Amino acid sequence: MYRESDVVYRYDGSFEGFLCCVFESISQKEIPFDILPWDFAATTLFSEKDIPTEIAKATRVKSSFSKKLGKAAPTCIAHAFLSCHPQKELLLLRFLILGYAKGPAVLSMAGHPDVAPVLAMEKQVSSEAHQFTGFLRFCDYGEFLGSTISPKNYVLPLLRLHFCQRYPSENFLIYDQTHNAVLLYFNGVSEYLILDKPPVFPAVSAEEQAYQTMWKQFYQTISISARENPRCRQTHCPKRYRVNMTELADER
Amino acid sequence: MDLMQKLTILADSAKYDVACTSSGVNRGGAHGSIGSASAPGICHTFSADGRCVSLLKVLMTNVCTFDCAYCVNRRSNDVPRAAFTPQELADLTIQFYRRNYIEGLFLSSAVLVNPDYTTEQMIKALELLRGPYRFRGYIHAKAIPGADPLLIQRLGILADRLSVNIELPSAASLDRLAPDKKKASILTPMKQIAVGHAQNRKELAVYRNAPKFAPAGQSTQMIVGATPETDRQILKLTEGLYHRYSLKRVFYSAYIPVSQDSRLPALDTKPPLLREHRLYQADWLLRFYHFDADEILDDDNPNFDPFLDPKCNWALHHLEQFPVDINRAPLEMLLRVPGIGPKSAKRIVQARRHSQLGLDELKRIGVVLKRAQYFIVCKGFTSAHGTNRRAIASALIDPNVFTAHTEQLSLFSLGETPQLSAAGISPDLTLPQAKEAAISCIANRM
Repeated sequence: MYRESDVVYRYDGSFEGFLCCVFESISQKEIPFDILPWDFAATTLFSEKDIPTEIAKATRVKSSFSKKLGKAAPTCIAHAFLSCHPQKELLLLRFLILGYAKGPAVLSMAGHPDVAPVLAMEKQVSSEAHQFTGFLRFCDYGEFLGSTISPKNYVLPLLRLHFCQRYPSENFLIYDQTHNAVLLYFNGVSEYLILDKPPVFPAVSAEEQAYQTMWKQFYQTISISARENPRCRQTHCPKRYRVNMTELADER
Repeated sequence: MDLMQKLTILADSAKYDVACTSSGVNRGGAHGSIGSASAPGICHTFSADGRCVSLLKVLMTNVCTFDCAYCVNRRSNDVPRAAFTPQELADLTIQFYRRNYIEGLFLSSAVLVNPDYTTEQMIKALELLRGPYRFRGYIHAKAIPGADPLLIQRLGILADRLSVNIELPSAASLDRLAPDKKKASILTPMKQIAVGHAQNRKELAVYRNAPKFAPAGQSTQMIVGATPETDRQILKLTEGLYHRYSLKRVFYSAYIPVSQDSRLPALDTKPPLLREHRLYQADWLLRFYHFDADEILDDDNPNFDPFLDPKCNWALHHLEQFPVDINRAPLEMLLRVPGIGPKSAKRIVQARRHSQLGLDELKRIGVVLKRAQYFIVCKGFTSAHGTNRRAIASALIDPNVFTAHTEQLSLFSLGETPQLSAAGISPDLTLPQAKEAAISCIANRM
């Protein structure tokens, strides 16, 4: 039986770090009051426990997912961890503890209070990533294609495969404003970077400007004025996406 | 004429084509090429009318030899005309695609010279894309009725999805409004595509590198509201098309008056958007909810109820089949409960293996209890079935119909819903008053 404890775990914010928190919790048979990254500046009344990241422990926990929770579990957990939910670590921990007891069935227990929030986080992350596969706009800077996005969740890892497959012969850069991170794809190799300050994009060429104008013109033309429906558009394309969309940025 | 003008003219002429989907085919990227396709489809933006823009939707040319009354591109209409060269179109597609503006190309065309010549032009553009540009993105092409079967075969090898517009819901309407098109000339290519697609599936099973013919299947569209067919006739036709030609989608397009013609509704007629919306709802019931057209509409009720979506309407007419036991009922019956969709039905079936489900569990699964509560029993809950009829009616009524700023579904698009006056609702009532009247009307029927 797990004991509800009022200790707060502090970890380095990485997925491996979180897995070490899971290891700690399960070996101590305790559920912490909260799990927070080190850089999360909040002092609590509760005692804190620093959880160091040890690859050996993380690997052990990770390999348990597919063994104990079924084939679909590793992806689901990894995606849910990218969520911006402030308590994602604790929600995932409760889900895992239930999962180790119930086995692979846990993923289909959609009505359970420990399972539903994890499925919801996974859904939110995947659907935001899916939105960005469409709403992201590249700008041709000659040497490379550049793009800026401002997602709620950390979706870059979910965009990597999609865009690397789609543009294998291009060089591109996707800048995530919210998390100050960059996905680079140059000469067929992709990598993530965390930036200190926003990247400076070069000036836009006349040719690029011409294509942007043509795209805006196409966008204006394709709409049927007799059917105008701003609320329907708003539902499908919320305003937060429009900041970085060529055809909608001016309209806001 | 520069590219910008051509794009404007040819996108403007293409905008009444409904389909802009990029679904139905998965294709990964490949070294040295550009593009990929994803089976669920990807929307790249939404235009001011709320429709998804996924593909660069243009006509090859809008110069037309036909004179169909409902069409903006008909020969007798005085509009600017233009034509893309295959090279221009291929360049534009690639440049838009690189910037992630679009998922691919939707290529249709007016009939220039004759159907064969037009199709050849389209094939040239697609060959450029698939050949020298090594484009692996999505392509939707319109098959032009009357074109040579060999050309349609070639088009199907280059494109992912083909479509032939059935245009109007009956042969009589077609004769009246589109004298150049015959029912047979539309159904022939449709049949050819259906047969070709089925045959290709078999070839692919034997030899996986066989060239793929329209791997994302075919779709069609028809204009609603320009001709006198009832909703029931349209829905029966749709069902027939799904069964006979294994179509992926049937699209409906509310008729927007584009010309003054004695055979057509007057120019100030508003497009029947609510009717179109109901048709799509019913179309979903056919495809994902195991409904038959005859269950949705019958001879006594040949048209949709303006206040209720077709599923709620069916449930109200079949109260004897409810309440449904969430923990026991088969999937098909769960799908008939208002407020439960295919996803939550599937999740219910999975989750109830592990424990009995109650209202809290259903809420977490994503069931819309506002509507479902009157039709179900579950752990610790024995249905709000007995509550007063008025409460049920107000929970089931389609809220969109009475929301002032949804121009789309405003009831007061004049002439669109003759049932209104029958229900005692006159156009000069305010929205809340009209809603009350509609609720009483439904409650009385129950």
